[in-house]
Amino acid sequence: MDAHALKRSALRLLAALALCAGLAALALLALSVENSATFSRWLPWILLSSICGVLALGALLTRKLWQLYRDYRNHVPGSRLAMRTVWIFGSLVIAPLVIVYLFSLDFINRGIDSWFRVEIKQGLNDAVGLSRAALDLRLREQARRTESLARALRTLSGPALLTRLDEERRAAEAQEIIVYDADSRAVAISSPTPLLQPPAPPAPEVTLQVFGGRSYVSLDPLANGRYTITTAAPIDVHPHRPPTRYVLINYAVPTELSELAEGVQRTASQYGDLSAVREPLKVSFRLTLTLVVLLTLLGAIYGAIFSAQRLTRPVQDLIAGTRAVGKGDFGTRLPLPSRDEMGFLVHSFNDMTKRLRRASEEAARSRAAVERERERLSIILSRLSTGVIVTDSELTLYAANASAGTILGAQLLEAVGSTLESVRKPAADPDATRASGADARLSAFVGALRERLTGSQLEWREQLTLPSDSGERVLLWAGTRLPDERARAMIVIVFDDITALLAAQREAAWGEVARRLAHEIKNPLTPIQLSAERLRRKLLPAMNAEDTVLLERATHTIVQQVDAMKQMVNAFSEYARAPDMKLACFNLNQLVSEVVELYRLQDASAEIRVDLDARLPEIEADRGRVRQILANLITNGIEALAGQSGGCVQISTVLQSLGEASTALISVRDNGPGFRREILGRMFDPYVTGKPRGTGLGLAIIKRIVEEHGGRIEAENVPTGGARVQVFLPVGAQDRALLMAAERRMELRRERA
Amino acid sequence: MAASLKMTSARPGRLCAPWLAALLLCMLVPCLPVASAQAQGPLDGNFQIDSAYIVLDHDVLELNARIHYPDNERIRNALQDGITLGIDVEVAIERPRRFWFDATLLDSTLRRELTYHAVTGRYVVRNEANVEQHSYATLNEALEQLGHIDDLPILVQSQLGPGPWQVAVRAGVSRGRMPAALRALMFWTDDWHRLSGWYTWMLTL
Repeated sequence: MDAHALKRSALRLLAALALCAGLAALALLALSVENSATFSRWLPWILLSSICGVLALGALLTRKLWQLYRDYRNHVPGSRLAMRTVWIFGSLVIAPLVIVYLFSLDFINRGIDSWFRVEIKQGLNDAVGLSRAALDLRLREQARRTESLARALRTLSGPALLTRLDEERRAAEAQEIIVYDADSRAVAISSPTPLLQPPAPPAPEVTLQVFGGRSYVSLDPLANGRYTITTAAPIDVHPHRPPTRYVLINYAVPTELSELAEGVQRTASQYGDLSAVREPLKVSFRLTLTLVVLLTLLGAIYGAIFSAQRLTRPVQDLIAGTRAVGKGDFGTRLPLPSRDEMGFLVHSFNDMTKRLRRASEEAARSRAAVERERERLSIILSRLSTGVIVTDSELTLYAANASAGTILGAQLLEAVGSTLESVRKPAADPDATRASGADARLSAFVGALRERLTGSQLEWREQLTLPSDSGERVLLWAGTRLPDERARAMIVIVFDDITALLAAQREAAWGEVARRLAHEIKNPLTPIQLSAERLRRKLLPAMNAEDTVLLERATHTIVQQVDAMKQMVNAFSEYARAPDMKLACFNLNQLVSEVVELYRLQDASAEIRVDLDARLPEIEADRGRVRQILANLITNGIEALAGQSGGCVQISTVLQSLGEASTALISVRDNGPGFRREILGRMFDPYVTGKPRGTGLGLAIIKRIVEEHGGRIEAENVPTGGARVQVFLPVGAQDRALLMAAERRMELRRERA
Repeated sequence: MAASLKMTSARPGRLCAPWLAALLLCMLVPCLPVASAQAQGPLDGNFQIDSAYIVLDHDVLELNARIHYPDNERIRNALQDGITLGIDVEVAIERPRRFWFDATLLDSTLRRELTYHAVTGRYVVRNEANVEQHSYATLNEALEQLGHIDDLPILVQSQLGPGPWQVAVRAGVSRGRMPAALRALMFWTDDWHRLSGWYTWMLTL
């Protein structure tokens, strides 16, 4: 048993002891109050029960009061109500109890004192005196009669003496008459009944008196409440010697007189005894009354505290339960105190918490479902290549996915909650060019969005062209209003970058054009060239000099133009031709060095700088085609620097990761005039060139070679001047597979978009 | 048959008569000075058992004792004021035991009352049941008579069992007819209560 249970058991035992002691005291008092003898016999038990009850109650009450005071000081809920209730109950009980107690004390004092008033004592003394006087009269009369009889007996003896004694006994109605000799032996007896044994010698006081020559008379009380008068007188009187005979007579006092005298005696005796116990009686009554009143008082106060605590306990439980509910604990169940109004209140509270718990569980399930849906949606949105943002008419960003930030070139995820206009460039991008391009792109997007939102049509689907450093970016964007009860309309905007898709479509179209051109144009070129040479060969000998010159110039022009057209058709054929890749592992840095060295030997007009990454491993690619890429890019750079002093072409290789794939980044940068802005977005399209004599197929072919390797190519202007083309080639077959798979996914998403 | 041997103030293994009330009052007023009833008050005077012995008469043990009761003017006045004096003679026979409480073979009290009969002016001695009563002209005579206990049958020999037997006799004077509870209540102020010492001896038959 732990200490708490032990303490509780001790308290219960103490309470039971107090209750039993109090009840026992009251019961004993009630049973004995009618009988003083019983009261006297039970008084110790009444006192013991009362004292035990008072002590036990005092201990319990002290503990309860201390608890009440402590709770009051600590502002325990309900303690003030309990204190007030105890105060009211206590006042209601104490005041009448004190009044009754004081009144009873006074009543007891007055009552007991009234028993011993002087008049009563005097009356008793008078009654005793009167009784004694009445009896004295009879005593004197019997004494005289005895003396007279003694004188009459002086001369008698023998039968005459007996006869005289009998006569006298009958005449005086005496009980017996005995004549003793000097040795107190009975010599003659007159008795109404014969004696079985000789009479006892008279008391010494009798003989002492009689032998002194004097008469004796006494009045003796008997055990049966009667009185007897004993008289004695000497028969023979001699001056200087004791009498030889004396007579002793016992007279019975009349019954009526005896009863009256005995009544007076009994009353006097009882009064004396009562007088002796006067003070103890007062003390006992006071003590008993005090203990009983104290017991009642303590019991009442304890009951008041108990009732107050019992009354406030449901209130405390309710307060605690309300606080628990306030903190979200809907599982709080309060014990039902009773079937009264408080019980109804507690029952209502329990019912409320039950409903709240059900509602809370339902809400939790709903929240969990919403959370799951949100996570699912978040995963879907994060995996979407399509950009999704949710905003309102004030352009406050409520939601965005990663693709939206990627497409718009902004940190939209971090900007949720703020306005789109406050979104800045990606902080991690060290390249100011990209940052400014992203800003322009986002600004254009925001401008277009604001324009849309200011109109009445909040649902649209169309293409949007945004400026970019790498050319224009074409978005397919759609907006729709979300059903929402808020004042400001929530708009969800879905957009996708279809620039690559459009480029692919153009590329496919150009590939088809190139294939048809190669097929339709290349075939008649050779007969044209052969026919022109045949005309020249057949006609030239037969013609004069003037015609010869003309024919020579015409056929030369035809052959020359046909060659030019062949070159162009071959270029188209090259563009459209599906390559046969010859993959092999080689050192890219070594290949770059070889190609650069070749150009350094051929053309020294531009400086070629090389920065190769020593960490770059061997890559798996078609070495010839990679050489073609390098040659074309270096050629373009050198041609862009034509006529410019201080021109420099920088070639660098870097091992870089694209997603999970490792790529070799080949960057070719010049400090020339850069790409013209109008062709910046279409530089990889066929027949788009910034050079006066370019075919416009160089970058298109490079792009196709790069894509055949699963890589990626980017072209852009450098803010400090010049252009930069970056080629990402997968390092190994696995990297190539990863990049191609990613590209296919992107392609599918673009197609879906 | 047996001579008096010794007197002691208390008999071991026994409680005083008003133990319960004394316990109560000790709880109530633990600090009150408890006055000895044997030393001061109206019962002051020579109060002792002069001699006591037991005789065996026809298999009946009979007590004989000579007791000297105090006699003074206050007692006389109190009696004449109407109070009753209780005169008790307590006799006990025990068998001492070594490892346990002594076995009580007899614990008897001879109760008598001494009153002053105001109507007749005599001192009356009566026994507890009021079946026997004697009156005396003087208090001295009455006390003298009370102090003589002759051939008081107390026990049949067969009830004694095996010995040894220790006999203890004690006399007491108290204000009679006062309820025991009240007497106990006033035990620290009631000087009308006095006990003699125990008169004990080993009984041999």
